[in-house]
Amino acid sequence: MSISRRRFLSWMGAAGAGTAALARPGHSATTQHFEGYADAGAVLFDSVICIGCRRCEAACNRVNDLPAPERPFDDLTVLDERRRTHWDSYMVINKYYPNGKENPPVYGRMGCNHCLEPACASACFVRAFDKAPTAAVTYDETVCVGCRYCMVACPFEIPTYEYHKVISPRISKCTFCHPRLEKGLLPGCVEACPTEALTFGTREDIIATAKERIRRHPDRYIDHVYGEKEMGGTSWLYLSGVPFSQVGKREDLGYIAAPKLTSGALAAVPIVVGLWPVLLTGIYAVSKRREKIAKEEKENAVAQAISAEKAEAEANLTQEKEKAKKDKEAAVEKAVKKALEDAAKEAEEAGKKDSEEES
Amino acid sequence: MEKGRSLVRWTGIGLAFLLIAITGMRVQGVEAPYKEPEGLRADILVIDTLKVFGELERPAVLFLHDQHTDALEKQEKGCKTCHLKDASFTLIPDTLDEAIRRIDPLSPKFKRLKDESRQEVMDIYHDECIGCHTRTADEGYESGPVTCGECHQKEPEVVSVRQEMGMDLSLHYRHVKAREKKCGVCHHKFDEIKDQLFYAKGEEGSCRYCHREVKEENRISMRLASHVACVNCHRDMVDQQKETGPIRCAGCHSEKMQARIKKVDPLPRMERNQPDAVFVNITETAEMSADMKARMAAVPFDHKAHETYNDTCRVCHHEGLETCSTCHTLAVAPDAGKKVNLEQAMHQENTKTSCIGCHMMEQAPKECAGCHNFMPKDRKQDDAFCKVCHSVAPAQAAAADKDEESQKAANVLEARKTRMDPIPESEIPETVTIKAIEKEFEPAIMPHRKIIDRLQKGVASSKLADHFHTDRATLCQGCHHNTPPAVKPPKCSNCHGKPFSEKKPIMPGLMAAYHRQCMECHKNMGIEKPAAVDCAGCHKEKKK
Repeated sequence: MSISRRRFLSWMGAAGAGTAALARPGHSATTQHFEGYADAGAVLFDSVICIGCRRCEAACNRVNDLPAPERPFDDLTVLDERRRTHWDSYMVINKYYPNGKENPPVYGRMGCNHCLEPACASACFVRAFDKAPTAAVTYDETVCVGCRYCMVACPFEIPTYEYHKVISPRISKCTFCHPRLEKGLLPGCVEACPTEALTFGTREDIIATAKERIRRHPDRYIDHVYGEKEMGGTSWLYLSGVPFSQVGKREDLGYIAAPKLTSGALAAVPIVVGLWPVLLTGIYAVSKRREKIAKEEKENAVAQAISAEKAEAEANLTQEKEKAKKDKEAAVEKAVKKALEDAAKEAEEAGKKDSEEES
Repeated sequence: MEKGRSLVRWTGIGLAFLLIAITGMRVQGVEAPYKEPEGLRADILVIDTLKVFGELERPAVLFLHDQHTDALEKQEKGCKTCHLKDASFTLIPDTLDEAIRRIDPLSPKFKRLKDESRQEVMDIYHDECIGCHTRTADEGYESGPVTCGECHQKEPEVVSVRQEMGMDLSLHYRHVKAREKKCGVCHHKFDEIKDQLFYAKGEEGSCRYCHREVKEENRISMRLASHVACVNCHRDMVDQQKETGPIRCAGCHSEKMQARIKKVDPLPRMERNQPDAVFVNITETAEMSADMKARMAAVPFDHKAHETYNDTCRVCHHEGLETCSTCHTLAVAPDAGKKVNLEQAMHQENTKTSCIGCHMMEQAPKECAGCHNFMPKDRKQDDAFCKVCHSVAPAQAAAADKDEESQKAANVLEARKTRMDPIPESEIPETVTIKAIEKEFEPAIMPHRKIIDRLQKGVASSKLADHFHTDRATLCQGCHHNTPPAVKPPKCSNCHGKPFSEKKPIMPGLMAAYHRQCMECHKNMGIEKPAAVDCAGCHKEKKK
């Protein structure tokens, strides 16, 4: 291995900078502001007109086949508690006392605002959320993996989760009555509202209506249509006679759509996902090849060394063998010679009994 | 600074009175002392005199003037304990001048005549206040603080409930009567050549026309002027053992004491040669080009009646008693008054000084609010509405002099029929059953005639309503809106036909039209039952 840790990191850094530079045009391409589908619907909630009767909640429950609540919808003491959306309630009306308890209450709605550029959809990596041409932000439970990133992403804290279900829990949130809209029906809540505190129309008309109401009764309304620009614009819009923060609306969200805030980082994802493997594979291949070459060289050297050794050993062996042969021959010769001498001596002594063997 | 000075001057005046009151002449009860609840005071003077020399090192001192007046009274001491004699007042002519001379004018400042230097003023306050508090305590009286933080409080223990004081028509009349119509006692003008004040008969106006919030040129502030004039004169009256007005701070500036000021009823009319009736239009002169001459029909205006609708003349005559068109010309000009042209001066909303603005405020009571709150603000009125006021052609309004104009205008007003005959009961349906969109609930039975009775009763005593409700069916338009007045107006469902119209979201559908009309009117008229969420209060739920 000839890559040091330091060198590896510096390569990685350079690769990162490269992908960031490449990502820039990608980033600007995703910041096209989406103004919503033409003729898409929108709902105006007017807290000046809302009387807090909860008929919208009841209708929502009915049209969506949600389980019956613990306390019935005509029990208005429910409003004494601050509530939020739940897996079995897609929208809730809350009661606020912005002018003190001695003055009449003001009602606010909490539910999906159906953003033009939904944060939930941009956070979802299986594309379970979609902004439908009816303006509804729809949810496809068949692809949802239950990561709940949408719940984290939503600036309005709307999506909820069926934590109680062990098998295939779903995300739950207002559907904008998407199936009803497709049939040309009004959303359940809008249809049920006895005072049209909930009004439905095209987003253009709804904004015009809201502004006309402000113009006709400037003394009753805050001169602002909440949702016209908030988070890049939403398909549910709100009017109020008191600052929106006092009827449960966040005023710190700004006018930039959530996906735009993350597009810089997210736009780099394809680049990272697409390019980095190539780069890393390249780095891997280069190092792999180097390793291979080194191995081959080493093997050759070893083989050579072995064969040389072998040859030398063989040469030594033959030498040794020859030497041994020679020694043997010499020994034999010597032995023979000695035997001959001994035989001669024996013959000389002729009668000597003791004889010794030699090898 | 002016504030501080005037307050201190006021202090001096008050204390001067006290001295006199105590030394010798025991006067009949000038005012029953009134005590505000703990911590709430109408007599707080903020001593922040050193501000003129730069930043304050410590919090300003809240000085309770009436408390000191009372304390000195107990010790049989008077105003001169704190205030020095000052002969440099610009004196007011006539009797007020005499009054001030009689009672020895005192400087409103505390123990000095002028603010010389920071150190000097500071020393005066510290030495004199602390010195007096120490001596008083030594003498065995209840006394004030002597340490820094007790006076210079970061979080003061008292809260000011001081109310603005002003002279309304009733109080003015009482002064007129008491002074036997000697207007010059108070009213004066300034002669620039002779450099003195003089009284000009027939040119009297509100003090505030010259004496503004703060001192302007040589005209002292309204605050100082009123304290010098009112309190000094009251002191003099006390001096002469006559019944008179308040001298202590709370006497004029606490809400409770203001409520105790006697109201004259019936109130005789102010005598200032004002006309009974006028034409509101442009006074045409020979040198006016044809373009500048009035083209709009003149408005006969019942001046005499309007005098009784407000507490003071200042409500309309906010800068002077001249006619409106003296300042508010047809075209806008850069001069102060002319920035608002005549049209705006008469029609601007949300102000009490314009005709329409004031009339619209008159629609606020709940008798009127049921219908009028529902109507959009700043809406384009139809031509017939303009003619309700603009009823006399310019040529017919022309007059040789003011008397003739007044007579002509009065004649027009006299000839005007003020009240429409009501629609006979037989023509008004007694009940209306609303069943067009009956679904979950049984039909609602609306007590139609009862509603009309209630509306009619509400406007029965209103001359304003009589004037502008020009048709006997005008009242019907409260509900049957956007349609000409008629005894048989279109039904709600004629316009609000569909339960919901996507094409026209500004116009509510029939269900919302009913609910909103009823509920908003009930809310505006203060009708609490049935509550908006009490569905069965109007229509019973159908048995399932």
